[in-house]
Amino acid sequence: MRNQRSVKQEFLRKWITGLRRYSCDEKKNMSFLERKKAIKLSADIAMASTRDKTTRWSQALIANASSSGDTLTGSSKNNSSRSRKKMLMMRRRRPKVKSAKKEMSASCIAKRLVEKRTRKLKNLLPGGESIDEGCLVEETLDYIESLRAQIEVMRYLVTASQLIINPYP
Amino acid sequence: MLHCLNSNASGSEMTVLERQRATIKWQHNNNHHQGYSSSSSPSPSSSSSISLVQVQSSSPTCLAAGAWPKLDNNFLMGFTSSPSSGFPLPPPPPPTTSAASFDLNSAISRTSSCPLPSLAEGKETTTPNNKRKTDKFHNTKVVASDNDNKDKRVKVAAPNDSATVGKKGTQACGDNSNKDNSKVSEVQNQKPDYIHVRARRGQATDSHSLAERVRREKISERMKFLQDLVPGCNKITGKAGMLDEIINYVQSLQRQVEFLSMKLAAVNPRLDFNMDDLFTREVFPACAASFPAIEMSPNMANTASYLHFNSSQQIDAGINPQDISLRRTISAPVSAPETFLDSSCFTQTLPSSTWEGDFQNLYSVAFDQARAASFPSQLFTGLLEPSNLKMEMEMEM
Repeated sequence: MRNQRSVKQEFLRKWITGLRRYSCDEKKNMSFLERKKAIKLSADIAMASTRDKTTRWSQALIANASSSGDTLTGSSKNNSSRSRKKMLMMRRRRPKVKSAKKEMSASCIAKRLVEKRTRKLKNLLPGGESIDEGCLVEETLDYIESLRAQIEVMRYLVTASQLIINPYP
Repeated sequence: MLHCLNSNASGSEMTVLERQRATIKWQHNNNHHQGYSSSSSPSPSSSSSISLVQVQSSSPTCLAAGAWPKLDNNFLMGFTSSPSSGFPLPPPPPPTTSAASFDLNSAISRTSSCPLPSLAEGKETTTPNNKRKTDKFHNTKVVASDNDNKDKRVKVAAPNDSATVGKKGTQACGDNSNKDNSKVSEVQNQKPDYIHVRARRGQATDSHSLAERVRREKISERMKFLQDLVPGCNKITGKAGMLDEIINYVQSLQRQVEFLSMKLAAVNPRLDFNMDDLFTREVFPACAASFPAIEMSPNMANTASYLHFNSSQQIDAGINPQDISLRRTISAPVSAPETFLDSSCFTQTLPSSTWEGDFQNLYSVAFDQARAASFPSQLFTGLLEPSNLKMEMEMEM
């Protein structure tokens, strides 16, 4: 792990440049949601590029961003369809579970719980579907670290820009 | 080893029958060796040399002459390396050396069963038999000698120049021979990147479960790191609960990112975050550290002027009435004394900076427009923001 401060600096630099490019490209009067989406996307990409393709989640983030362009609506549609699929699968799975419940032992239940949670965690990580369990924990570690750094820098920026707008609230 | 066996199988034109006869002879030799060493337990070198000599004497009749000396080298290596590494004291009969030789024997028979499928039938009938016998023998001997050397570990030294199949075979055999031991066994390959694996009593020792155990240990180690990283996770035992906690934490972090980007979008009506804007963050001594000095260069003049503002126009308890009225228009629901309280408290805690009147006007107008135009929720109205900022300032301080 590199130095936290240098990571934050790099992230900030990349984020600012990304935001600038965004503001140059796009029209000036965007809606609130568009702005929020742009900010989040640029922050994510900046964080991922700060990690420099050494981790799978950053690769997946960049790939997602480049493939889906910058339309959040498409991704949300994808999410909804995916969740619908999941619901269907869950419904299909349920009777099996009930029938198997009779001969399930405690260890079996525990294993199933762990599996369920692992699946959930994989869905949380960007590009987590392709990660095997050994790497999953490692990736999660890295992802949490960088999310923390990202949040800290974003918080700085929020306070700074709020200060600019009203210096004495 | 495999190579020479292969050459042996291809180069010499002997019949299957002859080969089988050779293996039977070999097994017979081994049996003889067993009985010999278990009954009288002589020094291992002599017994091994006997067996070797017997093998040598039986081999030239049916096997190619070029193949066996290499095997003998392997044999001798196994013999000479294991006593020197593990057992320095000569007088007690070291059974592990003979066990090592047996492992090698069985490994050889196993690898030699690979190249010829027609041979495999005859060999496979011999190898389990052979192995079981060696195991039995090995167990009794080890139990007998356990009193002598309890602390010593069984070291199985794999030959250096053997092929990978042969190595695997020896490792597996070593594991098998160590299976029933109460001792902690250590399988040591002579590769530079060997792994130390310890199997306790009752644990499976075939290579697959060994690898699985190594993998699981790695995962649990990482999980410990995660436990340290995620707050409130060290009290929880059990993998499911820990995973729950981790999932919650990651979700909360992601939501925080979402929230912060929303906040930024609300605060900044335009997307251009100028460096000079950012540089007013020098108000915070903590944030200032996170800015590299390089970013200052393009907007040096601007920042210099701003810094000049900061230093010259320190605000005191009395605020411009114009400012207050402005802020009232921004945050309409807030009553006047409250804003006054807020601002006064902030002027006490912060070395805040003031701005020119028209500059402030510009910003507030833009802000008002943005709010009127695009604020969908009440979350980011002017009422909420001062308190939020106040909270964050307090956190910062």
